[in-house]
Amino acid sequence: MTDHPLLSVKNLTVQFPSRGAMLTAVDDVSFDLARGEVLGLVGESGAGKSMTGAAIIGLIEAPGRITGGSISLEGKRIDNLSSAEMRQVRGRRIGMVFQDPLTSLNPLFTIAEQLVETIRVHLPMSAREARERAIGLLNEVGIPAASQRIDDYPHQFSGGMRQRVVIALALAAEPELVIADEPTTALDVSVQAQIIDVLKKLCSERNASVILITHDMGVIAETADRVAVMYAGRLAEIGPVRSVIKDALHPYTKGLMGSIPSLTSTDDRLVQIPGSMPRLNNIPEGCAFNPRCDQVFARCTKARPELMHSGNREVSCWLYDDAASEATA
Amino acid sequence: MSETLLEVRNLTRTFDMSKPWLNRVLERDGKRFLRAVDRVSFTIRKGETFALVGESGSGKSTIAKMVVGLLPSSSGEILFDGAPIGTGEGAAMRAMRSRFQMIFQSPFASLNPRWKVRDIVAEPIIAFDMVQNRQAQAARVAELLELVGLSASDGSKYPHEFSGGQRQRIAIARALSSNPEFIVCDEPTSALDVSVQAQILNLMRDLQDELGLTYLFISHDLSVVRHMANRIGVLYLGALVENAQARGLFEDPQHPYTQMLLDAVPDVDMTDREREEVIGEIPNPISPPDGCVFHPRCVKAFDRCRVEAPAMVATQYGEAKCFAAENVRKAGS
Repeated sequence: MTDHPLLSVKNLTVQFPSRGAMLTAVDDVSFDLARGEVLGLVGESGAGKSMTGAAIIGLIEAPGRITGGSISLEGKRIDNLSSAEMRQVRGRRIGMVFQDPLTSLNPLFTIAEQLVETIRVHLPMSAREARERAIGLLNEVGIPAASQRIDDYPHQFSGGMRQRVVIALALAAEPELVIADEPTTALDVSVQAQIIDVLKKLCSERNASVILITHDMGVIAETADRVAVMYAGRLAEIGPVRSVIKDALHPYTKGLMGSIPSLTSTDDRLVQIPGSMPRLNNIPEGCAFNPRCDQVFARCTKARPELMHSGNREVSCWLYDDAASEATA
Repeated sequence: MSETLLEVRNLTRTFDMSKPWLNRVLERDGKRFLRAVDRVSFTIRKGETFALVGESGSGKSTIAKMVVGLLPSSSGEILFDGAPIGTGEGAAMRAMRSRFQMIFQSPFASLNPRWKVRDIVAEPIIAFDMVQNRQAQAARVAELLELVGLSASDGSKYPHEFSGGQRQRIAIARALSSNPEFIVCDEPTSALDVSVQAQILNLMRDLQDELGLTYLFISHDLSVVRHMANRIGVLYLGALVENAQARGLFEDPQHPYTQMLLDAVPDVDMTDREREEVIGEIPNPISPPDGCVFHPRCVKAFDRCRVEAPAMVATQYGEAKCFAAENVRKAGS
């Protein structure tokens, strides 16, 4: 058991049929996730980061489907399970936190009903035990007077408090992996800081792994151990968060980091990547980033770079091809 | 730089949140008011960027709407180049209206999907009778589109053919078409991806240099504000709590709320700077706390803060509404 990483995604491809053509939303994505590790999945709109998360928990909506590759949890494939088998995994072994807490909570049921139901579906507990456990969870996520507030409805909570409830729900069955898709995007910055702290603390106490999907490099910097940068459905770069942020290799990551206005820099102009991300029906040949890249050369427009090792990370860029072959030689 | 273009004095806006009359009578309930903007005063000098930052419900968009006259104020004054906004009608008001424009948050909602881009951009030109004939109008639209980094031929397309960033460029071209001096930008980049945001922010700064524009820049994002503004006003529950020169505000924030906001911004440079934890949440604006409205969340709060509302006091880089800042000032002098 121990020689398998907790989660292993290999050559994952997700496609959507559209007007006779197949659109590739996730294109040959591979990464491993160790137990207790926080992996940030970062990219701009349409980069395929949410789709990757949805594929892992088996929630790709038809007509989209996984058309290639595999997803393994502790060495066992989970991408080919039946929907009944997948329900045993989802919620129990993989918890989820979505962007908008209002849509992930049912407005017609109290917090107690929703938490108790979730707990009892996955764990053998009586209603009373489950309620005790629910109150304990709400205390842990920082809801004041949890034993009274548990009987309130979602609309009686503020946005930040609702997202705390959603985190409690995700952790209710002690999952080994939590997938958080833009968990703080709908929140104000001061509330965001609180939610990140809660999520980080609770997952590390349980030694649960986290895949944190976000467009916000700042949230990644605060939370993740490793970060994977996605562009047009592909992985551009993956490595330890500090290395990627301080010393990006892929030209896209460099541009992305430079375009973020920072509290400390006094630079007059932001780095600007020309153009915008290609649409899925119009992904350029070779490297998907080549039309916007300032270091493009002939090979980039012809052949697609695979992930190659460079130092402590992997990067899919031909600039690092030599470095990789030297390192292995 | 020194000439005042916009002056806002004690601007206030209340909204009636009362239940219907019959319910009030039956439930013996009084009227209830929400004070969305509470006696806000600031001035913007020609050619500078003044930013208003705050979280949801702090009143920043309400102020923006009042400044351009989309929403009447409950009390207070807005003076544009010395003349009051929002009261007059007729020719004088129309002439003044062409001198300021607004850019909205979502370029998906602010552009009419049934209009071609050239008609969208030309609308203010026509509304203010700024050109003599259709030829001159077409030439002006082409010039504006190129100014914002699009091509003149894009005028014959519809908004849906453009990406979010390009649409925001169209919105900027429209705002510039009446040759305004002053532009109110309400969260102009918060619907955009970060690499596109960089393009738009750079464009806005270039245009400011080129055309000598003055911006009122509304945002919730402190790092964007840091990048754009000369001076910054921080709003909390509808009131300004600090108003200071940008660099000073970031280096030495005087109000504890400003400090809290700065501490809450994720540390994307991974500088490992020391930070305080955020305490509590924004209270219900219908029944705000007594005294200083920030005191329940303030690490520096003492007895006086719970009963008495502080007034603005001068600080090194501007002004702040805090007894602690006042004490620092006294101790220093």
